[in-house]
Amino acid sequence: MGTKELHYRAYRPRPFTKEERPRTTILFGGLTWKHERLIQGSLERMGYRSMPLPQIERQDLDIGKEFIDVGACCPTTFTAGNLARTLMTLKEKEGEEALKNNYLFVTIGACGPCRFGQYHESYERVLEGMNLKDFRLFLLDLLQMEQSAPGGGLEISMPLTFGLVYSMFYGDLITDMEHATRPYEVVEGSTDAVVKDSVELLYEKLRNRPIKGKKIDSLLWHVFTGYFVDALKEVRRLWDEVEVDRLRVKPRVKITGEFWLQTHEGDGNYNMKRWLEKEGAEVIPPPVAVWMDYLINMELFKLEDAKGFVKKYYLKKFAVESIARLYRMVYNKLRKALNNIPNPMPDQRKLKDLARPYFHYRLTGGEGHMLIGKALYAYKNKQAHMICELSPYGCLPNTMSVGAMAKVLGDYPDLLYAPIEVKGDAEVHAYSRCQMILTEAKRRAKEEFEQVLEKTGLTVEEIRNFEEDHPELRKATYRVPHYGYAGTASNYAMHVAKLMGKI
Amino acid sequence: MGIPRFLNVWGTHQFWVGFFNALGVGKIVFSSETSEEQYREYGKGRITMDSCYPVKALAGHMGELLHRDINLLFVPMIYSLPSFLKGHVVDTLSCTRVMMSVENLKAGFLREKDEFSQRGIKFVSPFVPFAEPEILPKYLWESLKEYIPGLSLEETAKAVKEGFKALDTFEGKMREKSLEIMKWCVKNKRPALLVLARPYHMDPGIGHEIDGEFQPYGYPVLWYNYLPLHDWLLDWLFGDEIRAGIIKSPFDISDVWTSSYSSNTNEIIWGAKFAARFPWITGVIRLSSYECGMDQPTFTPVQKIVESSGTLFFKFGELDETKPAGSVKIRVETIVYYLEKYSQEIVRKKLIRLKPVPSELLT
Repeated sequence: MGTKELHYRAYRPRPFTKEERPRTTILFGGLTWKHERLIQGSLERMGYRSMPLPQIERQDLDIGKEFIDVGACCPTTFTAGNLARTLMTLKEKEGEEALKNNYLFVTIGACGPCRFGQYHESYERVLEGMNLKDFRLFLLDLLQMEQSAPGGGLEISMPLTFGLVYSMFYGDLITDMEHATRPYEVVEGSTDAVVKDSVELLYEKLRNRPIKGKKIDSLLWHVFTGYFVDALKEVRRLWDEVEVDRLRVKPRVKITGEFWLQTHEGDGNYNMKRWLEKEGAEVIPPPVAVWMDYLINMELFKLEDAKGFVKKYYLKKFAVESIARLYRMVYNKLRKALNNIPNPMPDQRKLKDLARPYFHYRLTGGEGHMLIGKALYAYKNKQAHMICELSPYGCLPNTMSVGAMAKVLGDYPDLLYAPIEVKGDAEVHAYSRCQMILTEAKRRAKEEFEQVLEKTGLTVEEIRNFEEDHPELRKATYRVPHYGYAGTASNYAMHVAKLMGKI
Repeated sequence: MGIPRFLNVWGTHQFWVGFFNALGVGKIVFSSETSEEQYREYGKGRITMDSCYPVKALAGHMGELLHRDINLLFVPMIYSLPSFLKGHVVDTLSCTRVMMSVENLKAGFLREKDEFSQRGIKFVSPFVPFAEPEILPKYLWESLKEYIPGLSLEETAKAVKEGFKALDTFEGKMREKSLEIMKWCVKNKRPALLVLARPYHMDPGIGHEIDGEFQPYGYPVLWYNYLPLHDWLLDWLFGDEIRAGIIKSPFDISDVWTSSYSSNTNEIIWGAKFAARFPWITGVIRLSSYECGMDQPTFTPVQKIVESSGTLFFKFGELDETKPAGSVKIRVETIVYYLEKYSQEIVRKKLIRLKPVPSELLT
């Protein structure tokens, strides 16, 4: 018996060739529907057919459990179940041969030894369980820019990479606009409608973007072009039409947590962001862009630690710093197009320093020290009344930083912190834990607003009267500066007082 | 100097002994082996978050050492591990929970009052990247210089070398011992068992001494991390696959595992491959702690690697602080029955697939 037949070998997908590209659909998932629709636009521009997996549903958890090894964290179970449900549906609709030949699934990996880097092992269990070992599943390493799947059908080129980066930025910015607006919308549903229109507009822009070069010329064009900013200016005009009432006093809740769970919008995290809004809060969603910024800056911090051992240290440091600066510059340029309503990215060095007494920054895995850094950053800078930390049950790294928060809370007893462990099937428990902290956050938001009224000598009626003469204040795109209060209503009242010459 | 006998210290303790001896540290005190008593007496009330039991048990070790005659409590945050697979895999990182456990447990000793300073003990927890030997002395020196007066970076660097030397010497001896056992198996036509677990499952409080249960039945037990690595042996087992282009070296695991970031996981996978090929290893015992996220994706591949060769595979999963002595004994008896029944046939079939037994194994 030959060795090939005797021993177990890991799953290896069949090649995907260039010729197959026009008739093959790339399945992908893992982010919000907004990000995924925008990614679809970027992929289509590069000549790929693509289809995001359907939105995660509660049933995916049960389906996932049927296929993968015991003890998986809930993102693994949900995403594996979601893939299984998709494959079942496609198989039923189009037949097994069409599924194997006309579709493939692409997922990203890396992130070290955490389960995130090993999701594909669970996806393979799905293929095995469904007797679909011939179906193609490709794993792309997130940390390697130049990579491709065997056969050359999938090429990671500079224009595609930048398309994906802009998709991510756009998705983040629209999500930020959405959460800053919906709690205050005057016409119910107007935010959701404009989000949909904005995503479609940006999808078209990504799908029709010019391809300028393939290497450095492509990089320069993507960094310095006005194309992407102009697209957002069009989006801004859509948002101008949304009327808001910022005098609704609401606690601001910053969402932190494990990457998938904090960015997710659906049953996977009990729809926590929507639930918080329904309970009367304003949510600060976590952008995907911050995580990428963390990865870039970690390279810089590691390099600084190794000073003295690294050849061409200053050159390498300059290179990484330049990437970090360009990344931030592009993000800020896009924010500006939306009148800086979306939140800025936090300074990674500040996050690192804030977290340092509690968590070493080189302990990478998941969000690392960022959970602690972000909570303290929001608390100290009065960005939010409360932190809602979403971590999956059984999450390897986040469990540890959540534990380290015990000392942070000892030092900052005023910090309202709600660590929510998400199992996927215990929402009542999660809601009730969150509700307890939210009640106190609501009280603080109200107290803070009353203090502002007292300080400025204004009444709500006076602010309303002023608004009548200044209708631009009620536009979703009107930016209210930060006056050192966590609440939107408080900062808004201060701002009106300033405009009225009261402070 | 107090060092908890916990988690990654189980695979690196000889390094720490060599390192601190070279620095002239007077006495090293290790905590006791993990036990329920230790956990309840010293760890209670210090756990800040639910996690696997091996991580929680660290609280008991740290608490116990606070009651011992020490000046410094040294709890390293071991980020990456020395591994014989380094250079053949993507990385040799530690489990994220294990590496971060120190920051987590530390919070339990500090949140209400500083229990370290109350007892006049300095707490030192350096970041330890074994896979980055050039920066390792710097991190250790930065943590220790405050507590060891006059300590220089050069001195620390020399001590690191001594630490690695001590670890290599220890591992070399252990591998020779394993080879000796394997030769005994060949000579006496007796099968052996291989344990696939994390090194800290050698801790009786974590692994519940399941491996030891097999010895009264005459089954020698080998641990994957101390398997012999002689060229002649590895060529006998893996040479054909290298020449066929399936793998690049005997330590290449990319044919069975594509996410080779984690040191212990990589070595467990390699151990499974070794067991699948070495004729006299007729059974594999997998140990895994309750809720081990690192092991979870490996359950099916490891079992398949082992069983595809006809080798028997048994798993004791979800181990926690409770020692299920009765059920372990019953399972061990069952496993022994299977080993007795099938071992000789397994050896015979595995031998057929290989070239003649190397003379080195017959001496």
